[in-house]
Amino acid sequence: MNGPIRRLAVGIYVAMGALLVAVTWFQVVRADELKNDPRNARPALTERGKERGLIVTSDGVVVARSVEEEGSRDFVRVYPEGDVYAHVVGYSSHLVGESALERAYTTDLRSRRDLTISDMISAILGRDLRPRNLEITIDSRLQQAAFDALGNHTGAIIAIDPRTGAVRASVSKPSFEPTLLLGAETVANWEDLVTDPGRPLIDRATQEIFAPGSTFKTVVSAAALDTGIAEPGTTFDDPVEFALPGSTATISNATGEPCNDGVTTTMLQGFVRSCNTVFAALTIRVGAEDIGITAEALGWNRDLDYPWDIPRAVWLTDELSRDDAALAQSGIGERDTRATPLHMAMIAAAVANGGVSVTPYLVDRVFDVDGETLETHEIAELGRAMSSATAATLTEMMERVVTEGTGRGAAVPGIRVAGKTGTATGQAGFSNPWFIGFAPVDSPTIAIAVLIEGNAASGDASGGSLAAPIASRVIESWLVGR
Amino acid sequence: MTRRAEWTTLVTASGLAAFGVSLVNFANGGGIDVQVGLTFLVFLIAFGTVATAVHIWAPKATPLLLPSVVAVTAIGFLEIFRLDPIRAGLQRWWLLIGAALASVVLWLLASRGTSVLRRYRNLILLVSVTLLVAPNLPSDWGFPIRGMEVNGSRLWVTIDLGFINVGFQPGELAKLGLVVFMAAYLADHQKALREAHRRVGPFRFPEPRQLIPLLLAWGASVLILVWQRDLGASLLLFAGFVLLLYAATGASGYLVSGAVLALLAGFTAYQAFDHVQRRVIGWLAPFDHFADEGYQIAQGLFALGSGSLSGAGPGLGRPDLIPNAATDFIFAAVGEELGFAASVAVIALYSLLVAVGIGIAFRSRSTFRKLLAAGLTLVFGVQVFLIVGGILRLVPLTGITLPFMSYGGSALVGNLVLVALLLRISHEEAG
Repeated sequence: MNGPIRRLAVGIYVAMGALLVAVTWFQVVRADELKNDPRNARPALTERGKERGLIVTSDGVVVARSVEEEGSRDFVRVYPEGDVYAHVVGYSSHLVGESALERAYTTDLRSRRDLTISDMISAILGRDLRPRNLEITIDSRLQQAAFDALGNHTGAIIAIDPRTGAVRASVSKPSFEPTLLLGAETVANWEDLVTDPGRPLIDRATQEIFAPGSTFKTVVSAAALDTGIAEPGTTFDDPVEFALPGSTATISNATGEPCNDGVTTTMLQGFVRSCNTVFAALTIRVGAEDIGITAEALGWNRDLDYPWDIPRAVWLTDELSRDDAALAQSGIGERDTRATPLHMAMIAAAVANGGVSVTPYLVDRVFDVDGETLETHEIAELGRAMSSATAATLTEMMERVVTEGTGRGAAVPGIRVAGKTGTATGQAGFSNPWFIGFAPVDSPTIAIAVLIEGNAASGDASGGSLAAPIASRVIESWLVGR
Repeated sequence: MTRRAEWTTLVTASGLAAFGVSLVNFANGGGIDVQVGLTFLVFLIAFGTVATAVHIWAPKATPLLLPSVVAVTAIGFLEIFRLDPIRAGLQRWWLLIGAALASVVLWLLASRGTSVLRRYRNLILLVSVTLLVAPNLPSDWGFPIRGMEVNGSRLWVTIDLGFINVGFQPGELAKLGLVVFMAAYLADHQKALREAHRRVGPFRFPEPRQLIPLLLAWGASVLILVWQRDLGASLLLFAGFVLLLYAATGASGYLVSGAVLALLAGFTAYQAFDHVQRRVIGWLAPFDHFADEGYQIAQGLFALGSGSLSGAGPGLGRPDLIPNAATDFIFAAVGEELGFAASVAVIALYSLLVAVGIGIAFRSRSTFRKLLAAGLTLVFGVQVFLIVGGILRLVPLTGITLPFMSYGGSALVGNLVLVALLLRISHEEAG
């Protein structure tokens, strides 16, 4: 009888071994992932009532602070600028967790004056346990201008300094009041925000990918110029419809007309008038691989270093190199081509910066209570995305878009603005207007992407009619009257 | 291990429980108070009583069992205290009652040995079945013993004596009685069961007639599942019986038929019962059903992940975020506050207990005692696996208790009696 008992014993030991493996999996291998899951309220809960550091804009406006409650030793978090910074600063709530910078920099922002053994040891070693403060790259006037310019539209605006990658404005709408997630009504408010069909908790500037539409023609043009496959003057046939190879489907222009005279046209005309017929042909000429090389140098198909996870921008090089019909559609920023507004602003920034792409960043420095700097951001080049000659040519082409093409709405009196419009397929049959651009052309200090998520309110607005004028107001705020 | 070493470990483990309680106090801004002293005293008195009873009535018993039991009880107690000091106070009373009952069992078996259990097997069966169905008594009749439904399961009996109202789960004691009966029954019929079989491929299958007890046990388990909506007890009872049947006969066909029957019942139950469906959904995708079915499991995993290697520290984590942490999820609570190190230690302690129990079964010369020791150990081991595996998503979560650690008087008493039985068997089989 010992035989069967021995086998059963072995079975139980195997089961106990499985428990050990499973507990190792959850407590060691996946521990950080579980700990940092936004639904895990523990990290924020242990911080309840504790002081957290300041978050200050580059021009000194406090956007998050902790205030000691009267009659208790507990601190409450205050967001003086409310919904304007909701997607950048985020919230730190003991009930629903943390988001954005409050989450990414929580270890710096939190006070370490608590009871954990490691912190007590640090205190004994003379380390500063007071909360640290953040200085962020956002410019408060530009942020407010972008927030106002977006109005009641659903969408996002992100503006970055092309030379350094500093994010000067980042706005997403609909927004929310972070204070709603701090008080007694937190859970009810959270339920409302989560179930809101406008999805106000999502940061459309960095956390959601969209079809970029014709703004992607900048990438195709950069690849074409870099490889020498085309120049602005290169001529193309000028049909009403471009027949997709191996398919009965066609691509036509937004106007339903040919690009020029119906006989021949040029790459420049195709770019300035945003002709899909020209760029469908050009995309096939350049090929999926070379477009992919340029896109990837601009941060596509890979993770970006940012305070939070950015979804990857998508250009399906392998798949498209075997399918010209799909390639042509993807080259005009449709089909499976996807990017966040941040990625699109980076394209404009790289052109503005002479072809070199710089990694965008949000936090300039971490400083202690005495104002002493503890960490500063160092400018990180992502790499050269195109030659400086290509960047110069593309700048001229983009300026023509604003002076005489689809992007005239982005013009700012007295300022040379360059840009590209787009009107991409959005949800439920509505189109998503886009504008990307930079200014001033001779020494650019700001690159911008504007995205409107189309809905019944925006109707059939295009990038030129809706997104470009919004961009104009933001650029004006940055460059005029300072 | 000498008696002296055993006592040293008892005192140390009692000190561990008291130390844990004081750490929880410190975390809450308190200090060393009456709770610390009471905990130390209760642990020392309870386990000192059992150790003394062993010394008098089962002096040749293995000294390896009790220290591990004290250790897991102490770790569990500190976490119960952290979660709910009032329940911890009750748990201390139950610990004293359980220790007393375990000592009484040792005393009762002192003169005539465990074989007396074999003789009264039918009476034990009758009592066990009565205990098992007792929660199905009406909850609103005049008789002072009533059934009670808690969290959708019908496992509780309350005795209302007018001046005091005591609630307990008779199933925890019935479980022991059923194992005793099965061991006795199989010891009697072992020969017949072992010889009457036919081969099908690599498996030895028993004659159809010999399958009747298996089917009866299966039927009883299904009834528990339907009547009392207790997935855990149902599974545990059936697994215990099948494993014991295999231990007695060595016929792998029992394992195969048992698994087939369990799967069949499980699948039907999944189709028919909402509460089983919810368990399965919560098991397979806890994070996709965070708001409802998966909430408890997801919170348990958050607790374990947040505890990480060294744990948050006693009183410094938030295991109170897990629903029913003190009863169902005490393992996750320990993992959160004491860390991976404690999780591993707890699993190791249970493995040690199982190993000692299996060792007792191995060395037993009498068939009955061998099967009893094996049966008690297997049920114990399977129970640990089901609940810890449920928390760690290896198996669907069944709401059974973690022996010695979970809050729950009946379970603590039942498991202390289980240990007393194992100790007695090891005494009888020693030298």
